[in-house]
Amino acid sequence: VALRIPCPHCGLRPYTEFSFGGELRPIDASGAEGDFARVFLPENAAGPQQERWFHAMGCRRWLTITRDTTRNEVT
Amino acid sequence: VDGREIPLHEGDTVASAMYRAQIRVFNRSLKHHRPRGLYCGTGDCPNCLVTVDGVPGIRSCTEPAHDGMHIRREQGWPSTEFDLLRITDRMQELMPVGFYYKTFIKPRFAWETAEKVIRRATGVGTLPRDPTTSDEKPEALHMHTDVLVIGAGVAGLAAGAAAAGRGARVVVCDEGSIGAAVAPGPTLDRIRELEADLRALPGVTVLENHAAVGVYEGPMVPLVSRERLVQVHPGSVIVATGAAEAHGVFSGNDIPGVWLGRGAARMAGVHRVAPGRRAVVVVRTEEGLGHARTLAGSGVQVMVLADPPLAGGLPDGVKVLENAELVRAEGGKALTGVVVRQGGRERRIRCDALVLSLGHAPRDSLLRMAPTEPVVGAGDVILPGCSLEEAEASGKAAGLGEASTTEPRAAGTPHPHDDGYVCLCEDVGVKDLEKAWQEGYRSSEILKRYTTATMGPCQGAMCGQHLSCFARDHADVEDVPRAAARTTARPPARPATLETLAAAVHEVIEKHTALHRIHLASGAQMGRSGSWVRPFNYGDWREEYRAVRERVSVMDVGTLGKFLVAGRDGGALLDRIFPVRMKDLAPPHSRYMLALDEAGYVMDDGLICALDDGTHYLTSTSGGADRMEAWLRNWADRLELHAHIVNRTSELGSVLVAGPFARELLSLLCDDDISNEAFPYATSARITVSGIPCLALRVGFVGELAFELHHRRSQGPELWNALTEAGAPFGLMPHGLDALELLRLEKGHIYLGQDTLPDDTPYKLGLGFAVAMDKPDFVGRTALERISELPLERKLVGLEFAFGDSSLRGEPLQVGDRVVGRVTSCERSDSLNKVIGLGWLRAIDGAFPDRLTARGVAADVVPVPFYDPEGVSLRA
Repeated sequence: VALRIPCPHCGLRPYTEFSFGGELRPIDASGAEGDFARVFLPENAAGPQQERWFHAMGCRRWLTITRDTTRNEVT
Repeated sequence: VDGREIPLHEGDTVASAMYRAQIRVFNRSLKHHRPRGLYCGTGDCPNCLVTVDGVPGIRSCTEPAHDGMHIRREQGWPSTEFDLLRITDRMQELMPVGFYYKTFIKPRFAWETAEKVIRRATGVGTLPRDPTTSDEKPEALHMHTDVLVIGAGVAGLAAGAAAAGRGARVVVCDEGSIGAAVAPGPTLDRIRELEADLRALPGVTVLENHAAVGVYEGPMVPLVSRERLVQVHPGSVIVATGAAEAHGVFSGNDIPGVWLGRGAARMAGVHRVAPGRRAVVVVRTEEGLGHARTLAGSGVQVMVLADPPLAGGLPDGVKVLENAELVRAEGGKALTGVVVRQGGRERRIRCDALVLSLGHAPRDSLLRMAPTEPVVGAGDVILPGCSLEEAEASGKAAGLGEASTTEPRAAGTPHPHDDGYVCLCEDVGVKDLEKAWQEGYRSSEILKRYTTATMGPCQGAMCGQHLSCFARDHADVEDVPRAAARTTARPPARPATLETLAAAVHEVIEKHTALHRIHLASGAQMGRSGSWVRPFNYGDWREEYRAVRERVSVMDVGTLGKFLVAGRDGGALLDRIFPVRMKDLAPPHSRYMLALDEAGYVMDDGLICALDDGTHYLTSTSGGADRMEAWLRNWADRLELHAHIVNRTSELGSVLVAGPFARELLSLLCDDDISNEAFPYATSARITVSGIPCLALRVGFVGELAFELHHRRSQGPELWNALTEAGAPFGLMPHGLDALELLRLEKGHIYLGQDTLPDDTPYKLGLGFAVAMDKPDFVGRTALERISELPLERKLVGLEFAFGDSSLRGEPLQVGDRVVGRVTSCERSDSLNKVIGLGWLRAIDGAFPDRLTARGVAADVVPVPFYDPEGVSLRA
């Protein structure tokens, strides 16, 4: 399987059990500009990126991982 | 074939049976409609594609033939044999390379007509109108293994055995039957031995007739057969797909009668059909010598063109021309002769077959497809032209994990010629490439894009080498590495039908409520609504509608999303993320609630109920339950709030009891005080109905006095039966989604997804009342603040039509000729004696029109609700 994600509750599981929740963006960014950037201006980094994943077919908990987008590996 | 019966021999392929029946022209070429005949015989070239039993694009040379097959040749008008569009071949000068991009672009309006003509004249095959596998859908499965070996020739079988021998689980696949494409001889003997060894080993799965279409990240390799799609997830991949014989490029190289060696040898040696009476065989490989022997042995008069001179021996009677070079082939629908140059002199040789063994073209696309994945090659694919022993040794090394390189050995370079078809699939000749080069397309990648060479069914199997050699010969020396690189290999490496690739995508989980069987027993028309199967009606939806408006009715609403939110910060979480006003929401009150995303767009709607134990009970739309749960959990996590979120959707059932007599009915089954004073609209109460504990909500979706009874799922049938029995004297009828559609429409209540678009804000939907902008924060607040400064450019409105029915739904709304919106809901209401609907409208110059037409029917914008605007009934 292309990507395995370490779930703190369920162990190393294939990515197909998860749904992607997008980049981790700070939610306490100040004011309208911060809000705008969070919603509309993703970094889309080539390289390590912090992301949210929901273990939909497992514990149904959210987790934050760092994934290298160029290698599709959790680092 | 084309309506004519032809005889079959044992072991025939479709192609061999057709060839034996004197069919020489199998196909017409894509652009120039040139006649094309059998060429490679190994499934690598596009020349023999036919339609088999309605499925287009079947490679007849590898397709086993059986009785009753219907074969149709695909190209040409009126027929493949006699193709009037052949005239395009004479007009080549008028259709230069890239003419699509140049010729019909101006004037712009002409393109539409031109496109129709071009579409008719080009293309490969015709898609079947109906599904081709009528009875059984292809199945999809996943397979996990340590090693996947693609190709079960000598190298592949040796690799599989070596890997299995060291304890690995092994899957070996081949696009055909093992050994079927190999002529009798030492190679086939060795294959049989290796196959027997491999099959005897534990942990080995052999999949014949499964073609690998690509190598994806993971790695993951999809294999396709007629019956199924197998997604293999191996630890590593060994590609042992071998090599095709190299394509020859020279003038006349596509005339029927020109063969690659293996194709001709198979036809003569295996199928016992002579590919001609007089054959010129061009031999530059060991293998070619064997082909010459096979042909001579089957009675063909053979002349060998050897350059460089031969080492091995040939049977008596075979003439050999040494140091002779092939110049061109001549003929129309069939080969009549070749011209060769020997010692500076050209001479013409009469013949009806030209057989080429020029070199090898590794079938390396799978090898090159995923450079970062653990994929190695074995055998001919990396050592083109290798011996049997070399192939076996390289397979064994790969199987043991000792293969050190995937870099193929050079395959030998084709001789440059100034004419002939480089790409048989797309009719791209040397002259086309030269023209493109002059126009500035100066690397194999952009030559490919401009000329479409390598883009056809063979995906560069024949022409890839030539394209990169052409670029190498034309590029400046220092630019060669870039300009002459092979073009990127992409899936599919082998043809796959869309039907197979889509195997199982329509197999989805169906959800049933606890009342499913009762609905079926009541004769309900069931249908899909999202993933749920729900009753649409029980026979007469207009009567069901009247039961709700005039008497009493029940509906199964167990599909609603149902959530309990508890914990220290449960209320704070809901207040922080939903736009609903919560500070005055005390038990036992409930309130309509929107869920917005961060862009301020409406994601879902539902009800929020404050319960007396300090927790909150939430309902969401039936389709939105999973998303709502994930969404709640995400925000609780991100905001670090202590909230417990319990998705009770499948654990609880819910029955709606609605109608003027709803309270009377419940009173018969319930001892709790459910009077309007004790239990008013928009509150909740814990009551016991027929002995079953329920959380009851006074709701208003249908616009009548209504109670939603949420209960333990297992008690659903008991509750439903008690209600319907007790309701019989009132004239109770259950209602389904069809009746609900009109009931809610009369109230102007929206259906998310049906009446809304993904970028609808509460303002566009007229739901501004559900947004408490005076709250300091909620998800989407910043966005709404910004949006509310802008003029409203689109909104959902109520519509009244002059006449019509539900078929108006989906029609454009127009002012004169101008389309300004769309009808999203429409139904005829008997009780209002009107045709009503909802639809969205765009503003014209800052103002919304109020007189419209839909499909010619006059439609006026009117306020909603249509029914009981003061809400007297639902508060009764």
